[in-house]
Amino acid sequence: MKSIHIELLIAKHLRNTVFKNSAVFIISLFIGALLFFAAISGWENYNSQNETSEKYQHQSREDWLNNPDKNPHRMAHYGNFAFRKSTSLSVFEFGMEPFFGNAIFLEAHKQNTANFSEAGFSNSIMRFGEISIAMVFQVLLPLLIFFLGFNSVAAERENGTLKLLLSQGISWKQLLFGKILGVASVIMMLFIPAVLVLIFVWMLLQNFTLSTDETIKMLLFILFHFIYLLFFCVIAVLISALSKTSKKALISLIGIWLLFTIILPRTTQAVGAYIFEAPSKVQFNSNIEKDILKQGDSHNPNDPHYKAIKDSLLRAYKVDSVQKLPFNYSGFIMTEGEKISSKIYNQHLEDLLQIYERQNSFSKAVSFLNPYIAMKNLSMGLSNTDYDSYIDFQKQAENYRYNMAQKMNALQIKYISNKKPAATDKPLTIDKDHWADIDSFHYEPKGILTVLKTEILSIISLIMWIILLFVFIKIAAKNLKAI
Amino acid sequence: MLVLLFKNFIRSKGTKIGLLFLLLIGFISLLIGRQFQQKQQQNIVETALYQKEHIARNAAFHKDEMGLLLYYIKFSLVNKTLPINSLAIGQRDVNPSIQSVTIRGLEAQKYDSELNNPNNLLAGNLDFGFVLIYLFPLLIIAFSYNIISEEKESGTWKIVATQSSNINFYILKLFYIRILSLIAVLTIVLIIAAFFLNIPLDQPLLTFYGLGILYILFWFSVNFFIVSLQKNSNFNAVILLTIWLFMIIILPAVINSYIVNKYPVPEALELTLKQRNAYHQKWDMDKQITLDKFYKHYPQFKHYPLPNTEFSWLWYYAMQQMGDDESAIQSRELESKLKQRNQASKLIAQFVPTLHTQIQLNEIAKSDLENQLLFLKETKQFHEKMRLYFYPKIFDNTPVNQEKWKKFKIETFNDNSKLDFAKAFLPLLLFNLILMGFGWLNFNRKRQTF
Repeated sequence: MKSIHIELLIAKHLRNTVFKNSAVFIISLFIGALLFFAAISGWENYNSQNETSEKYQHQSREDWLNNPDKNPHRMAHYGNFAFRKSTSLSVFEFGMEPFFGNAIFLEAHKQNTANFSEAGFSNSIMRFGEISIAMVFQVLLPLLIFFLGFNSVAAERENGTLKLLLSQGISWKQLLFGKILGVASVIMMLFIPAVLVLIFVWMLLQNFTLSTDETIKMLLFILFHFIYLLFFCVIAVLISALSKTSKKALISLIGIWLLFTIILPRTTQAVGAYIFEAPSKVQFNSNIEKDILKQGDSHNPNDPHYKAIKDSLLRAYKVDSVQKLPFNYSGFIMTEGEKISSKIYNQHLEDLLQIYERQNSFSKAVSFLNPYIAMKNLSMGLSNTDYDSYIDFQKQAENYRYNMAQKMNALQIKYISNKKPAATDKPLTIDKDHWADIDSFHYEPKGILTVLKTEILSIISLIMWIILLFVFIKIAAKNLKAI
Repeated sequence: MLVLLFKNFIRSKGTKIGLLFLLLIGFISLLIGRQFQQKQQQNIVETALYQKEHIARNAAFHKDEMGLLLYYIKFSLVNKTLPINSLAIGQRDVNPSIQSVTIRGLEAQKYDSELNNPNNLLAGNLDFGFVLIYLFPLLIIAFSYNIISEEKESGTWKIVATQSSNINFYILKLFYIRILSLIAVLTIVLIIAAFFLNIPLDQPLLTFYGLGILYILFWFSVNFFIVSLQKNSNFNAVILLTIWLFMIIILPAVINSYIVNKYPVPEALELTLKQRNAYHQKWDMDKQITLDKFYKHYPQFKHYPLPNTEFSWLWYYAMQQMGDDESAIQSRELESKLKQRNQASKLIAQFVPTLHTQIQLNEIAKSDLENQLLFLKETKQFHEKMRLYFYPKIFDNTPVNQEKWKKFKIETFNDNSKLDFAKAFLPLLLFNLILMGFGWLNFNRKRQTF
């Protein structure tokens, strides 16, 4: 008990010196204002994103159902939309959202791109980054910690008070822990109220009906940020203790901050993208088309693949022309075509995604050296604004598209007469009641377990950092000198 | 004296490492720019090849039906990428530089996005623009935050003060050598870039250079002003880094959120639903209504009557046309919203040198929203041209082999918008003069305390 008492005393002393500095009040007030601003703009973003997305998803559904009797293939071309919705945590962490396309048009035969991203509608100002609660926590608070902690030990060394302290029987370990506690307690005066407000905003957003999944994500979001900020308190005090003068400590800490939050994230990703070059859309699409043509082109009347299917059908049903088949032949061919083309598309997509994964692997590996990247990845994962969530959204949309197209083909096979209507006949249709058979598109964000699994590297790296810093404190406590 | 000061500056290990680091990362940025340039060029080559094969193949399949053939074939328009674009990639990674469209409804095709790894977009490009805007200021701060305070803290200032005849000129000389070193780095990188990336030594590159110099001077002016307050080194470092943080991270982000929330674009989604319905509903309507609307838009096609068959290509393309015509309001609204966004952010940016420089560099490189909007406009004209060329051929069902398909090569859009020098240079110039003026006043006022 007694030893903790000393640490608390040191912490209290540090807190008092910090609060004597009026600049600290100004900075804290300012960061508070920024947090407030970030919360409001996150809230607005989230609401407008989800309101428009819901509105048009709903309207698109109504439009779909309001279609009159039609040929199902017309409906397959009428198509559906997948509009992206955000999860509640994305109010605090925008992650890659501005770069995500917000709508995918889902139709037969064709995998469309996800369009209408915020980035496409902005000029290059937006490339400076956005301000979110997570950004304040991950980028600005560490810097504030460094500003608070750079002279925690170094100044005492400069004044000569360090010798006094140590000669009074206080151990280095106590001193370091006391100082860390001091810096941490100052930063918590900002962090804890902010978190309380966050929780309130977050609950308000969901009208106080919370799902377990979202709650766990929120708790982890807070917990990991708490740990993350403690790191920086430790780093600040350690560097301060290692430095001869407070100026040197300050410069080293600023260097570390710049390296962690500004320079490394961009350079590692750029190196990854440079080494593993991804194909452009033109290349990607023309490769797919080449492969589809190799397999068989359903639009080409003389294609061998489709000719073989035709011949085998004629044999099996013992008829001499496709018009005599007991089901709709072109519906059958389209089912086959859709199967082939989407299989080929998915293969190419997998290849492309693998290249992207390799590009990302650089910065993932660097997360072991850089807690900022680990934290960023983790918090983007928790708020479903990360790379995997986006790919997941696109895959769910593609899945939906495929099922819709094939269902329409099945309806055609079953209900549309195999006899081609004459040029002046009314087109063949089926009852509009069938349209309701297709469910509306619903995007299910990844659950917490999947998120933790994909972000396992980040978690390991954060744990490793905790252990490492404890070791550092121990080593430092043994080897540090007072002068 | 100047030579001695320079030797003293360059001899320090930190200076050497800093300058080398800047040169190195500047060179890396050129490599990345070159890769981007090569990729763009390769895309154009592939698109040209693809268009040739694709048209030839389809023309062979669909020999008898012009309407069906035009349903499939795509024509490409390239947004020309200037060599200088490698220095400031801007939004060119987000927006596709090639539009491939069929003559069917344009609104359903115009906004197709480029394939991208969102991780790369989030991290941002490591182009020379980034090096200049983010990293140069850091080095400038590192080199000059302690210009006087260091000597004061080590006790040598009094000696300097008593030995120099004019202390203000002494300080200016200290800045002068630092400014020269950084401008030298900028010059070296740009000269290498000109050769390495085949950037012609013309007005855009010189404007780029001019902006770069003004931007570097801006940061030196900031430093000059802060140093003129004559606080201690720690204070200077903290305050300068905070200014950097404001200029590079906080203000841009706040302004961006403001713009995004002030001009939301729900029109985009509305547009996409509208054009889908406008086209598809026509399948279930009286054909003559659609045709009448079509004749109203294009009176020149009035003499093509609706054929007496259930399906006709005239009717089909009239329906497709309606997808565009009936969503035209939303399309215009979206366009004007985006213009407003661009105008507003450019206006605000004039008061924030970092933003201003970023936007101006990207405008020189034709890689910003302005260029994208022009490209979309041009795509519309290109699409209209193809439409008007093929409509009569479809309605007459001209034999497919009468057309010389080889002549349909990809076309290129050149963004010829002129740069406004006053707008580009003045804001930075004014900031520089004001900061230097105040700094100078401070030095004069505080001379007594030396």
